[in-house]
Amino acid sequence: MKKSDVILIITILIISSLIMLIWFKKKEGNKAIVYYDSKAILQLDLKQNGIYEVEGAKGKVKIEVNSHGVRVVAENSPYHICSRQGYIKKSYETIVCLPNKIVIKIANEEIDTVVR
Amino acid sequence: MELRKFTRLSMLLALSVVLNIIESFLPIFNGMIPGFKLGLANIIILLTLYIYGFKDAIYLSVSRVFLVGILRTGVFSITFLFSLSGAIFSLLVMTLVKKTNFFSLIGVSIIGSLCHSVGQILVAILFTGNGAIYYLPYIMLLSVPTGILTGLISKELVNQFKNIL
Repeated sequence: MKKSDVILIITILIISSLIMLIWFKKKEGNKAIVYYDSKAILQLDLKQNGIYEVEGAKGKVKIEVNSHGVRVVAENSPYHICSRQGYIKKSYETIVCLPNKIVIKIANEEIDTVVR
Repeated sequence: MELRKFTRLSMLLALSVVLNIIESFLPIFNGMIPGFKLGLANIIILLTLYIYGFKDAIYLSVSRVFLVGILRTGVFSITFLFSLSGAIFSLLVMTLVKKTNFFSLIGVSIIGSLCHSVGQILVAILFTGNGAIYYLPYIMLLSVPTGILTGLISKELVNQFKNIL
């Protein structure tokens, strides 16, 4: 291993942890936005429990909101990655369900207005 | 193409497909970070790149993606496009980095595994919007250990096979 390799490894580690620090200042969001095909189709209030259904590319996607956060309960996809992921609650956490073209993102109203 | 070389490249292609299938059985981080895997097939691509050069490596890499696509995910599905973009992007960058001679094989391997994920994320952004970009730091972080692992194995293999292949 050359010296430049070590420098490379350290740079990658520093850059990725910096990005994480900037992006993921963990703060609980207060709403969840559901996107289909990158268009926002539904906004959920995290304080209101309930079960919602949206139409994905491969059928219905069932989304549950309760005190733990938001999760996908049932969906039709080959590997069920998004329903296995479990709850998300903090700002900028996402659930991505590629086969259904559904993305669920947690947002925080104040942060959101600043970003936009 | 010389028959001997042709046979050996086919053998390497078969090996890379098998490695790709084997690593899909390994449950490492399965489900936690979608799309994360060890990248064992990159060992073969690196070996080909170092022994035979870029042209043969890109043939091998693209045929591998097509074969795995036919065998597992289905050709022209979204996963297939991810693999294809990742494979081509990582090979291009690895070739460029190798030409500069600035990094050893291990550094090239780390950059390759990083660019594989970056290529996939770029396509994911095309399909699903900016949501996929939030995987970037995780994937950057994870590409370091996997890159070192595949780099160490390929380094040993290149040393062993330099005279035989």
